[in-house]
Amino acid sequence: MLTRIAQTSLSLVLIFGLISPASADDLPAPQGEVILTVSGDISATNVDETLTLDRQMLSALPATTFETSTIWTDGVHTFTGVSLVDLIDVLGMENGRLLATAINDYTVEIPVTDAVEGGPIIAYLMDGAEMSVRDKGPLWVIYPYDSEADYRTEVIYSRSIWQLDRVEVIQ
Amino acid sequence: MLNNLPARKSNGRKLAMLAGLVAVGAIALLTDNVSREIRLLGSARSDNVQWALVQTQVEFLEFTQQIDLEPVNPAELRLEFDVFYSRVATIREATVFEELRSDPSSSLHLDGLVAFLDEAVTIIDSPDDDLLGQIPQLLRLSEDIAPTVRALGNSGLDAFAQSADSQREAVARTMTQLAIAIVTLIGVLLMAILFLNRLNAQITRREQENHQTSTRMTTVMSTSLDGVIVCDSNGLILEFNPAAEHIFGRVEKDVLGQEIGSVIVPDHLRDAHDAGMERMRNRGEKRVVGKGRVQLEAKHHDGRIFPVELAIQSAATDEGEIFIAFLRDISKRVADEAELVEARDKALASEKLKTDFLSTMSHEIRTPLNGLLGNMNLLRDTELSQQQDRYLGYMETSGRLLMSHISDVLDITRYDAGKLNTRSEPVNISALFQDIIDNQGSTAAKNETSLTWDWHGPSMDWVLSDHDRLQHVMMNLIGNAVKFTRRGKVTVIVENTGTSDAPELFVKIQDTGPGMSEDLAKRVFDDFVTGNTAYDRDVGGTGLGLSIAKRFVHALGGEIGVDSILGQGSTFWVRLPVSIADAPEEDNGDDVAPHQPGQSQLVLLVEDNEINRIVAREMLQSERHTVVEASDGRQGVDTAKTTRFDLILMDISMPIMDGRAATRAIRAGNGACKDAVIVALTANAMPEEQKEFLADGMNDILTKPLSRDALRALLKKTGGVRENCEIPMINKSHNAETREALGEETYVRLRSRFVSEVDEFREWLGADEVRDYLEISTYSHKVAGSAAVFGADQLRGTLKEIEAAAKVGDVKAIKDQEWALVDIWQETKLQLSN
Repeated sequence: MLTRIAQTSLSLVLIFGLISPASADDLPAPQGEVILTVSGDISATNVDETLTLDRQMLSALPATTFETSTIWTDGVHTFTGVSLVDLIDVLGMENGRLLATAINDYTVEIPVTDAVEGGPIIAYLMDGAEMSVRDKGPLWVIYPYDSEADYRTEVIYSRSIWQLDRVEVIQ
Repeated sequence: MLNNLPARKSNGRKLAMLAGLVAVGAIALLTDNVSREIRLLGSARSDNVQWALVQTQVEFLEFTQQIDLEPVNPAELRLEFDVFYSRVATIREATVFEELRSDPSSSLHLDGLVAFLDEAVTIIDSPDDDLLGQIPQLLRLSEDIAPTVRALGNSGLDAFAQSADSQREAVARTMTQLAIAIVTLIGVLLMAILFLNRLNAQITRREQENHQTSTRMTTVMSTSLDGVIVCDSNGLILEFNPAAEHIFGRVEKDVLGQEIGSVIVPDHLRDAHDAGMERMRNRGEKRVVGKGRVQLEAKHHDGRIFPVELAIQSAATDEGEIFIAFLRDISKRVADEAELVEARDKALASEKLKTDFLSTMSHEIRTPLNGLLGNMNLLRDTELSQQQDRYLGYMETSGRLLMSHISDVLDITRYDAGKLNTRSEPVNISALFQDIIDNQGSTAAKNETSLTWDWHGPSMDWVLSDHDRLQHVMMNLIGNAVKFTRRGKVTVIVENTGTSDAPELFVKIQDTGPGMSEDLAKRVFDDFVTGNTAYDRDVGGTGLGLSIAKRFVHALGGEIGVDSILGQGSTFWVRLPVSIADAPEEDNGDDVAPHQPGQSQLVLLVEDNEINRIVAREMLQSERHTVVEASDGRQGVDTAKTTRFDLILMDISMPIMDGRAATRAIRAGNGACKDAVIVALTANAMPEEQKEFLADGMNDILTKPLSRDALRALLKKTGGVRENCEIPMINKSHNAETREALGEETYVRLRSRFVSEVDEFREWLGADEVRDYLEISTYSHKVAGSAAVFGADQLRGTLKEIEAAAKVGDVKAIKDQEWALVDIWQETKLQLSN
């Protein structure tokens, strides 16, 4: 676990060019269009009390890719994005939940327990291409539905929020 | 019942299995259905489609609100449009909306919506200025499409509601079916439990029964008095019960598994046993098995061979055919039987010895007696004083009585030895009774008793029976009645009491004599029973007469009995089955004319007993025949070779060679007498023996004691009648002797007395009166004695004939002789006077 944290910290250092995440103010503001705003009980912030991330910054985080079909699309697709495990590491979360909200203000609650290896990702590429709002982009919480039956439930489907743009962390 | 059980059980089992399979199949099918339903429910493929549809309207409203804003914010407008666009795209593409898309009206609405988006997107994607310029157009487009958006939402709701309903119904139906299947299965299981329970009970019961049966069998086996050995088809012993252990001296554990032949079969029977086993194995041939009780020999452990009785039965078992042998040691029984047989044989032997002894003794007594009687007969031919003549008469009477007693004893011996055979010959019943009545007439007259006989009902003259036996019986019964009745009446009634098919002779002899006590009447037919009356002394008797009569009647297949009242008389009755016979042809030439002696013949007399030989010789010589003697069969045969004899008299039992063998030898040889007349001389020839004698080649049979009459009759047959009488009327030399001895004066006096004596006799005999036979014989005997003194041989001979005829009650013969006497006496008187 420590190794994991160390790794993640190293990642952040690499991303943000920081030696230590001790000072939030030290985090750089995003250069491009902000596609995700994280608020709530977080230690790392860059704009006001929030952590805002553009596409480049998200891409800098460790990426996870898997193939799966979904009930909202036709056929099997490849999704690439930041796994929830990696995200909560970055956010330094041990427990609690995430309140994910879409562009149309649709909000769902995702418990930290969902963040497991081989679990959901916040996808920013579908079939290697960026997703527009019309294609449920720019971010879409995708679970590997095909990998196990537990991911093909009403609850999981409701947590698979698309057109995601905000996350509030509640410890 | 027991046979049906397994079939029923298996049927039940099949049925239960089938029902169970059907139920399990149904349940499996339904479970599959249910699990599919559950999977469908569980995987929630529908997402929240209704919410998504409603959201379409919401997002469309948010988009239209952006259009209505003053001023319009292009970025916000585009964002709201994109969100709406994304929603519609999802509905168009997502698998969860497949159902909705298949609904025609929803599909129509969706197509309208897509057309709107396609048109609006060109406006939205244009630069801000253009966009703002085209707001009114966008507004108009969205106002046009608004009802379609609402309609899509409604139709979607309808479709999903229907789908949900049908899904619920499907689930409910499946659940109901499942419930029914489960109930059925439970039912089947319950039935199966019941069935198994019953089966279990049955099996338990059968096990108990088997156990009981087995216990019972074990008890039976162990307590059986018979040895029981069970073996398989190879003869290997499976069981050996305690009784078998005892019988064979073996212990069960030692013999189990051994071949039965090696254990109990004696060595000399082993090959036969092995062959039998082989036969049975190869061809299923069973010679002892199932054939009931068989007696065989068996081997004891110590090597002793003993007899056993055994029965073997086979039975089919799961392990193949088995054989159960029941054995019994019958050594004791066999020994007992042997002892019994020995005892019986001894008894029979001793009985036979007794009979033989009696028979032999009787015979041995009879032979010398014959000699005595014959010699007495010859003695009569000599000159006797009156006193001597009287004594000779007594001797003859005693001798005949003794002879009759011996004959009685012989008859009884024969009957008891089963040798008393009867003849079946034509018998004239009327003649038989008439003869007996005539014979007994004088005695009856002496006792002043009337003696009569008659047929009751139609007569039945000729029947098939045994003349001699019948005569003997009737003579005895009638003789007794006459003997015991004084001044009374004896009535003989003869009757045919049978049917035309089975005639039956019924004879009743009623007398008015002293009668018998009931006790005596019961015993009267037993041996040696004599009446205890005052007349006994007079009548004498061995007490065998009635017992012999009874034996004869039984031998003839009849019954005899007596009804008697003491002091009033007795009625003896005889009932005999007979059959009607034809009257035999009259033998005209059979009349014996003894007063006309035949030609002198050459006779060979073969007889071992010297006295008998002498008697016969004397008789023959007195008839002027020439006699050659031989003392045994061999001598006889030798003599007969060279000389031609007119007659051979052949005794039967002789030493060296008996009469039968001698006869056969003479007939078989080529001697002079090959065709001569051979006549058997026998004392006790039975009918079948007589047949054998004839088969041996004999021409006739003469019964001993030899009587002059019988001999004469025979010689007449063989020699023929000679017209000229050779016997002189007067034996001159004898007459001369008498004349000389007496002196002339006495001779003449006696001669005249003799003449008047004969005349008186003739007168007496010719008188028309009923005469007693005894009187006739005595009288003629007396006159004959006088004739002998004067050498009047012919006269004497004729008188002797009358005497003999009277003795046997032959009325006809007496009459004939009486006529013959007329001429002879005339001639004799004439010659005597010279």
